[in-house]
Amino acid sequence: MTLGGYQVRLQRRVALPGWKAALFSILAVIFGLVLFSIIFLQAGQDPLEIYKQIFSYAFFNSYGLHLTINRFIFLALASFAFIIPAQAGLWNIGMPGQLYLGALAAFGVVYFAGGKSGDLALSAPIIILLMLAASMLAGGAYGAIAGFLKGKWGVNEIVVTMMLNFIAFYLVAFMIKDGGPFMNLGGRGESFELPEAARAPMTGGFPITLWIVFILTILLQVLFSRMSLGYQIRAFGKSPLAARYAGIKPFVIAVLVFTLGGAIAGLAGYHYFAAVPGVYKIARTYGYFGDLSFYGIICGLISLGNPIAALFIALLFGGLSIGGRYAQGKLHLGFGVDYALMGMLMISLVAFQFFYNYQILITKKERALDVDVSD
Amino acid sequence: MLTFLIRSLEAAMIFTFAGLGELVDQRAGILNVGLEGIMLFGATLGFIAAKTTGNYLLGFLVGIGIGALLGLLHGFFSITLGVDQVVSGMGIWIFGFGMTTYIGNPYTGPLGLDQIPAIFGVSPFVYLAVIMVVLVWFVLSKTGLGLKIRSVGERPGVAAVSGVSVTRIRYMSVIFGGMMSGFAGAVYALYYNPVWNYNFLMGWGFISLALVFFSMWNSYLLFGGAVLFGLLWQLALNPQMFFPGLASRYIWRMVPFMMTILVLTLISSKWFRSRWGATKPEALGLPYHKE
Repeated sequence: MTLGGYQVRLQRRVALPGWKAALFSILAVIFGLVLFSIIFLQAGQDPLEIYKQIFSYAFFNSYGLHLTINRFIFLALASFAFIIPAQAGLWNIGMPGQLYLGALAAFGVVYFAGGKSGDLALSAPIIILLMLAASMLAGGAYGAIAGFLKGKWGVNEIVVTMMLNFIAFYLVAFMIKDGGPFMNLGGRGESFELPEAARAPMTGGFPITLWIVFILTILLQVLFSRMSLGYQIRAFGKSPLAARYAGIKPFVIAVLVFTLGGAIAGLAGYHYFAAVPGVYKIARTYGYFGDLSFYGIICGLISLGNPIAALFIALLFGGLSIGGRYAQGKLHLGFGVDYALMGMLMISLVAFQFFYNYQILITKKERALDVDVSD
Repeated sequence: MLTFLIRSLEAAMIFTFAGLGELVDQRAGILNVGLEGIMLFGATLGFIAAKTTGNYLLGFLVGIGIGALLGLLHGFFSITLGVDQVVSGMGIWIFGFGMTTYIGNPYTGPLGLDQIPAIFGVSPFVYLAVIMVVLVWFVLSKTGLGLKIRSVGERPGVAAVSGVSVTRIRYMSVIFGGMMSGFAGAVYALYYNPVWNYNFLMGWGFISLALVFFSMWNSYLLFGGAVLFGLLWQLALNPQMFFPGLASRYIWRMVPFMMTILVLTLISSKWFRSRWGATKPEALGLPYHKE
């Protein structure tokens, strides 16, 4: 294409330096926010003013900040659950299902310790440790189903994890509704409330899951940059065939990444239903919370699989979605502003994928010395 | 019992519409994993259009129109921009899921229009689905256009050399796929389940996607699979008809999803592939770059 004596060409990138990739990611987020402001314009509001309010509520208001941090923990865990399989080139969109299973397992521990109606049979630290372990085990085992099917027979993991989401969704309904074992004695279609001793301890006003996120970030960073296993996962993600020749077992990798991802998603379920102050039960609207974990897909893609970058993006998205909810109430916007934000960010991200693959070359048009045959 | 069978067929027709679109897409080498998002958009916008104007036709047209636009978007991302097709498809799904949750929420509740009348006891869309199945089969296997579509899905390089515009055929297919998915969504929201609710499509787009893999890219097998899943879905909703008192209703609701996994696993196995020779389009999911 020629524009005013300059030739504009598209060229496929061979390699993309890290800082450029980061720049495109940041631009994608900004573009997504610009798209999102259509909603405010449509409501007759000045987007800049609203964004100012969203940010000041989400990050500079004590109440809002607590909500933001709690959602940040959830989104960070969901992102990690997506990133680990993504590094192996596999799509885990089963975070909702895995986190439901994690939550059910954690509540199961309390149930069997007699915490549904009376006092706990075990001391608080043991209960909490058991709950954490159970949520990871259940989430991991549930994730492993998709990994197993993918590794053994190459079954499409996107469809499988999505189907597992719905199965887990109804499993939760079975457990907490219609006289299910975890049903609230008041019969409100939600689970029993956790007794005081089974709630996640708070440090400095935030639940301990915040520390778990930080520890996981370091572990993942070490896994992917320092350990041979992390290298194998990434090699498999880049080229499954080449990895196979190098002696990497596809089956082992597939099961492993989905188990790890599922275990972390299970923790996300623990966090939302057993560690967020004011919740401490599986609410009737658990489906909304589960689906929020799809933000993890966007965080994971934008951060290009880097756990530290994912942390910052999860914090930003956590704040935006909480602030969005606040703006929703203030401006009387419809329900689901945070879902709309999710959609806008995602589509913007996909559009920006183009820049990861191509670069635009603008050169002054020379006399045609080498004839381009393809045009 | 008759109602049960009719409802099953009506569920099947929605799987069929969405699946046929995806089938043509994939035959042309484009994988669109985001048909759930397109269906959600077609369902939600079609529902809103019909509810606010009281005009069914407008609802369906809006559904088809938004489907075409989203198909075009997927084509633009994956054909022109060369974005990974799975990334683009997932993007369209999350875009559809997020946006329709917000857009549709004020319209939560029933449609409030008279049900579209049945013809000989069966919804007119069932007949339309059967016609479309035959039509898609005919076009794909008996016409020059079908040959072009299949060739760009198998060997785009060879097709291009023999004078077929890979880009044009792929765009046509992906827009057709979008229109069918949008229409399927509209039929769901305007006929099958005319009550808007949060995420009311319940993964039907993903089930349709699985059905395309199951069909081995043959429209008759797709229809067969769709009928099977329509029956399963109705069974999961009304287990008391056949198994009174057996297991909670929530457990029954899991059955179609479990079956999807089971069927998908079966057809992915080496035994099945070597026995039946599933013919996956050679260039499925691969972008085509002109050399």
